[in-house]
Amino acid sequence: MQFSQGVRMAWKSIIANKLRTLLTMLGIVIGVASVITLVAMGNGTRQQVKEQMAGLGTNLLSVNISGRGAVSSLTVEEAEQLGKLDGVKDVSPVISGNVQAKYKTKNVNVTVEGITPSYEGVRNVHIQRGRYITGIDVAYRQKVALIGTGTAGELFGTADPVGAAISLNGNHYKIVGLLEQQGTSLGGSNDDKIMVPISAGSRLLQTKGVRSVYLQAEDDANMDSIELALEGELTRKFRGNTSGYNIFNQADLVETISSVSATLSNTLAGIASISLLVGGIGIMNIMLVSVTERTREIGIRKSIGARRRDILLQFLLEALVISGLSGIVGVLVSYGAAYFLTRSGTLAVMTWDTIALSFIFSFAIGITFGIFPANKASRLRPVDALRYD
Amino acid sequence: MSRHAEIELKDIVKTYHMGAETLTTLKKVSLRVYRGEFMAIVGPSGSGKSTLMNIIGCLDTPSEGQYIIDGQDASRMSDNQLARVRNEKIGFIFQSFHLLSQLSAFENVELPLVYRGMPAKQRREIASGMLAQMGLADKQNHKPRQLSGGQQQRVAIARALASQPSILLADEPTGALDTKTGKEVMGIFQQLHRQGHTIILITHDPGVAEAAESVIRITDGIITEERRGNHAIQPGSPDGLEEHYRQ
Repeated sequence: MQFSQGVRMAWKSIIANKLRTLLTMLGIVIGVASVITLVAMGNGTRQQVKEQMAGLGTNLLSVNISGRGAVSSLTVEEAEQLGKLDGVKDVSPVISGNVQAKYKTKNVNVTVEGITPSYEGVRNVHIQRGRYITGIDVAYRQKVALIGTGTAGELFGTADPVGAAISLNGNHYKIVGLLEQQGTSLGGSNDDKIMVPISAGSRLLQTKGVRSVYLQAEDDANMDSIELALEGELTRKFRGNTSGYNIFNQADLVETISSVSATLSNTLAGIASISLLVGGIGIMNIMLVSVTERTREIGIRKSIGARRRDILLQFLLEALVISGLSGIVGVLVSYGAAYFLTRSGTLAVMTWDTIALSFIFSFAIGITFGIFPANKASRLRPVDALRYD
Repeated sequence: MSRHAEIELKDIVKTYHMGAETLTTLKKVSLRVYRGEFMAIVGPSGSGKSTLMNIIGCLDTPSEGQYIIDGQDASRMSDNQLARVRNEKIGFIFQSFHLLSQLSAFENVELPLVYRGMPAKQRREIASGMLAQMGLADKQNHKPRQLSGGQQQRVAIARALASQPSILLADEPTGALDTKTGKEVMGIFQQLHRQGHTIILITHDPGVAEAAESVIRITDGIITEERRGNHAIQPGSPDGLEEHYRQ
């Protein structure tokens, strides 16, 4: 018997039992669709995280200084020196601390960052109105400040803060610029802060040591070599006290988050694939019922010359046609699901490898769970099968 | 006409094991059926005639003895070889027709040829021809359900003939039919016999058996009577069956 004949035969008996076939297919359809959709959602999340992190800059290295005292801290000048390392495009040292900010009768405790003009380029933090802190401000220790939207809202309400004078720990500062809204990140709100020239900040916060240094690489490919050089430089400066500082690679963070979301989506897909397995057992169940029901048919076929492999092929093809059809429907359903998810705000990205994989998987389930009933059918003795009713 | 043995059974024994009990349904049965012979095997139910038919039809294998069909020893064949013999050398006609209900009359008739691996064009010619010969040319696409009992049995006969078998094996072919259609079907067998087909007919009805050329009676697994008719049936002559129904 030819293969095409077998497929036609299988198709015929599937058509003869539409409702049953549909219900059998449902298990595999749900399995395939949920595996593909969940993986697509995982891919979407990873892509979104990557895009967001790229906004922060994947070519950014940050150093946090936790040490105190002359040996294990870094002066502004020393921090600027780090910018001379190979492959570093720009450097931005930051002094930070908390101060009491006061405007008229309003009083808030707020983070102050002493920065240099390079901060804008390195950290990608811009102003929406007014002007940025300039080199002259730093050189002359000007008491000017940039204000975050959060703090501006608290102190000024809806009024324009630019040009107003506020008091930081009793010192008068003039607000020259309003920062763009940043939103929140892992560290909390980025909008609740005030930024001043680093020289003024050093005096305001009464510290010479910088708390963080941001290094921007020329190319995010040589991040690792810069990190290594930086590590060496800092170890030398801190005389081996490696607990006094902490280097943080933005690319590492992206990688960590992507791997977390990949693990999550793989776990979900794994759970979903259990439903594929259950669907496969459903196919086996139905095929076994079908073999019993069609014992006489098997007998008739054998009496007119069907060999064992003809019967085996017939039932196996039936299982395969059911699982293959379910695979196709499952892919279509997941396309629909991805479309609606993306429209409703959850990015779902379908990839060909997931589709191919779940399709192959559903076929494999058809074979695995179809072979046992098919084999049972093919082994029936023609005399017994004919006598059955 | 020189007589050539189409099938030959030598000391066939068939035993069944049911738990501790052993049941012997055929006790050293020996039988020859010649080419072109129309033989009826009669016997009450439980006599072993169905077992004999299953062995002749290669649906079952004997426990002991030798079964030779068309010069080949079928008692020592593998499953696949037996399937091939059933496909090429035997045409079955069953009491309850045994047509596949989801296939059309045409598809039922071509099925043995499908299993033989014959190309579609050739199959179509043979199957259509057989159905036409059975007077069912206009019923090709009907499902068995849409046909009368007599028509269904004619489809079954067409299916049996499609593979051009050495022998036609009919198991109570009129058992599920009324007297009139039964007579028609027996007429077809008479005609096939005249065309030179070897026919073995199993029945418990002695009246039906009379249409046959030879009659074998089987009781309790032993052949108790063997009557070989030497009369050659002349085309057009009144035959035994018609006499039977006339009575």
